[in-house]
Amino acid sequence: MRGDRMSFRTGPYVDMPLMLAAVGIVTLGLVNLYSATSVYVESTQNSRLADNYVSQIYWVVVGALLAILAAAIDYRHYERLSTFLFVGGMISLGLVFILGNDIRGSSRWINLGGFAFQPSEFMKIVVILMVARFVHNDPKTEPRTLIDLAPPLLATAAPCAAVMAQPDLGTAIIYALICISILAMNRVRRGSILVVVLAASAALPLAWYYVLRDYQKARITSFLHPEADKTGTGWHALQSQTAIGNGQIWGEGFMQGTQNQFGLLPDQFSDFPFAVFAEDWGFLGGVVLIALYAFLSIWAVHIASQAKDRFGAAVAIGVGAMVFWHAICNIGMATGVLPVVGITLPLFSYGGSSIVTMMIGLGLLMNVSMRR
Amino acid sequence: MSFLVQRSDVGEFRRRYRWLVLFVLVAFSVLIGRLAELQIIEGDMHRAQARRNIVRERYLATTRGVIRDAYGRVLAANRPAYTVYITPGRVDLESTWPRLCRLLGLDESEKARFETRIKEAQAAVLAQKATKERDKERDRRAEQQVVLKYDADRDAVAWLETHNPVGVDVSPTPVRYYPYGELGAHLVGYMREVDADALSRLEDRGYRAGDRIGAVGIERRWESYLRGQRGMRKMLVGQRGKLNRDSADELEARYLEEPRRIEPIPGRDVSLTIDIDLLASVEKALRGQAAGAVVVVDVRTGRILAALSKPSFDPNVVSGGGGIAAAADAFRRLNVDPLKPTLDKTISAAYPPGSTYKPFSALAGLADGLVDPAAEVDCRGGYEYGKRFFRCEGIHRHVNLHSAIVQSCNTYFYDLGARVSIDRLAATGLDYGFGIKTGIGVNPEARGRMPTRAWYTRRYKEAFRGGFTLLSVIGQGATTVTVLQLALAYAALANGGTLYQPQLVRSIETSDGTVVQEFPPRVRRMVGVDAEHLEIVKRGLEGVVAEKQGTAHKEALPGVDMAGKTGTAQVTHVTSRGVDPDRVWYFNRAHALFAAFAPSKSPEIAIVVLIEHGGGGGKNAVPVAMRVTRDWQKLKETRLSARSNPGDTSRSNL
Repeated sequence: MRGDRMSFRTGPYVDMPLMLAAVGIVTLGLVNLYSATSVYVESTQNSRLADNYVSQIYWVVVGALLAILAAAIDYRHYERLSTFLFVGGMISLGLVFILGNDIRGSSRWINLGGFAFQPSEFMKIVVILMVARFVHNDPKTEPRTLIDLAPPLLATAAPCAAVMAQPDLGTAIIYALICISILAMNRVRRGSILVVVLAASAALPLAWYYVLRDYQKARITSFLHPEADKTGTGWHALQSQTAIGNGQIWGEGFMQGTQNQFGLLPDQFSDFPFAVFAEDWGFLGGVVLIALYAFLSIWAVHIASQAKDRFGAAVAIGVGAMVFWHAICNIGMATGVLPVVGITLPLFSYGGSSIVTMMIGLGLLMNVSMRR
Repeated sequence: MSFLVQRSDVGEFRRRYRWLVLFVLVAFSVLIGRLAELQIIEGDMHRAQARRNIVRERYLATTRGVIRDAYGRVLAANRPAYTVYITPGRVDLESTWPRLCRLLGLDESEKARFETRIKEAQAAVLAQKATKERDKERDRRAEQQVVLKYDADRDAVAWLETHNPVGVDVSPTPVRYYPYGELGAHLVGYMREVDADALSRLEDRGYRAGDRIGAVGIERRWESYLRGQRGMRKMLVGQRGKLNRDSADELEARYLEEPRRIEPIPGRDVSLTIDIDLLASVEKALRGQAAGAVVVVDVRTGRILAALSKPSFDPNVVSGGGGIAAAADAFRRLNVDPLKPTLDKTISAAYPPGSTYKPFSALAGLADGLVDPAAEVDCRGGYEYGKRFFRCEGIHRHVNLHSAIVQSCNTYFYDLGARVSIDRLAATGLDYGFGIKTGIGVNPEARGRMPTRAWYTRRYKEAFRGGFTLLSVIGQGATTVTVLQLALAYAALANGGTLYQPQLVRSIETSDGTVVQEFPPRVRRMVGVDAEHLEIVKRGLEGVVAEKQGTAHKEALPGVDMAGKTGTAQVTHVTSRGVDPDRVWYFNRAHALFAAFAPSKSPEIAIVVLIEHGGGGGKNAVPVAMRVTRDWQKLKETRLSARSNPGDTSRSNL
């Protein structure tokens, strides 16, 4: 590790551990995507699906360029920009309902020319910036009350409500978790925490009856009682667990996982890529991948601890939280310890918006790391 | 960068970082722990499940053995029919199922029945995965195929073969086919679907739900030989993905556990002692009679040459060859028929023998020295004993033993009955195999009854009365025998006192015709009878047919040489209760019997004809026996000339 910053003459300082971890996950993700999509290449000759991993490479390139851009501009500029980004993000979330095209019963995408993008993904970055901005500008040092925390909470609740309406429970949960994670850095009054906990537990039954859609309820009930759900999501989760277990210690080998190759895994390149990976590469591969995510999350905390201001630290924590919660939720879902929610595995799952968002986030992280 | 003001310090955050790192580590450790649980601790279970997901077991049907008659004619064989199986745990209820039901023409009740079964199986699969317990028993049940439809029509089979939906298999199963239909149905038997009860007992022996099992007769008794063993083949389902590049053999070698294929073993063939030609002639001779039974045995071996119970049923229909509904319908009709078509009247029913029993009474009397063959009794139409008058069929005046047999004089035998002990009579009967099961092996066997003093005492609370003996002597009262017992006993009379074990199966062969096991005739016992006494009785029996006064003489056919005894067995009077009032007269009529052997000198066959409620034995039963014997003689001549002829192609076993 370098003790001092490099001058511009010797080139910009690059946080190599962060870089390597990210490159490692992306590489594994591409390799795994090849295995996951090969099922369709061979059996259906469906070139659109067969080209998945090629288009994923394009997205990785696009994401890398945007990440470099995000890293190049001093992150302190983003603090001021965040309000505009927030307004823009909310408008595009609103546009989804007008322009969006339905995929599996929820409208999440906006078609722009040849490609579709998901505003809710990019909104994750905006939420990070908004909450970080609040933390940065908060002059208080004594424990905060709920009223003190109202601005960031409202700034998170607004996109949450918008994506819940799509409906997209997973993204709303991620927004909330990001917000909570950043705010957890601040001292908050015990009484306020108690109020929030009580309010949340009171809101749960209400949410169950008035907010959650039937399929979302079904996922939760099937998680709690897998035997009650005969065909739907419970079945998917069980197939995923079977695939992972089938990997055993050493794995079935690259493109040899039978659950994947015989088409028993649902959504194997977006929601369940971990199952494909763990089946092919076994416990060893799984541990390596989990270790990379753990390293990335901890490294983000490390970067935050070295940041020179609260905004930088909060952004680093926010990006780290985004990676962390995505990884936990997705792997937890694939291994059956959490209910099935459509949360992607960061840098790993197929999906342009998702991977570009993650890479922009890592660009911000790099930004903070470069300017400490 | 001066315009960027560094406003707040990060000091407040410091103390939280450690906790965050700890939180991250704990969270990922939980995931790794779960990963270890899935992949290492439960790894074998999940691998097994993953294999089950891609492997299907397919049964390879075996061929049931063929049943042949003594001359190689096929009595029961197989014809191909397509059976559709489903694996309830796998069938797609939404897309495949409705189409399948339509194609196979399942009715609503069948449809509903299978639907619940499918749902149960699929729930069980999930429940098992939820509890994480590997319950082998339940595994096996969920993967077990059940029969959806027998004898599916060709259109449905063609559709299934081209679309090959998951969880549905078609296999050509041989269906049992009985070329002679009703002829010999009681002996050969039929097939039925194995029921839940039998299944639980037989599961270890490879029986599965929907299997067929022999229901009665040879099909049941020799089930374990006829059945064979079904084979099994494992295969990969829906081969997809990259693995498709590898050859199928390689893939199967990798994923299929040994044994990958078990060849089916065809069942053994069974050759009977029955002569289907003779059986056909029996059937012909019985036309015009509503119900009855005929048994023909070889007196030198105890082999059963023909056994027919009338009315009969079509084993093709009750085996389900025409569909399950047709079989159920047939059973409904058979079960309410007052003539009891499903009852094997040759083996499973006991009748009073009537006068056909008199030779044995005479032998009992002769053995004890109670009868002097020359002594005469004056028959005046009956016999007074105690306060009762026992009637004779006629007024025969002076009869000795010979003429008493020839004319079937009851009075003569009442006189004997007054002197002989009932236990002696019963003992003689037992000697000739009455009152004991013959051990033929097929069908539930009636024992018949040789009443003794003890039996009467048990049965009627009052004291034993001598009148019972008088009835026993003439084969009435409580005495009952089966047609088969009577035939074997007459065979013993004919062959000089050898009581044979009745034999129905001649040999067991493999499907390529190699004889595996041959069954020689088995002697049950030598009856200790004085040859002289036997000769007296046999001459009496000859007289029945040959002498002018003989009860069978009028119906004798020219050229048919036989000796026997007629019988007219009174039946217990029935009232109209439980019986169609228009038919009461029929059920109150006596049974007509004729028990005989032929030829009268050096006899070869014994034949017993029973016409249920046929009236007088001489008039009704004798013509049947005469015609059968005539046909038997003809068959014998044809076979003799055929055997001397080298061009003969029949499968003679001699």
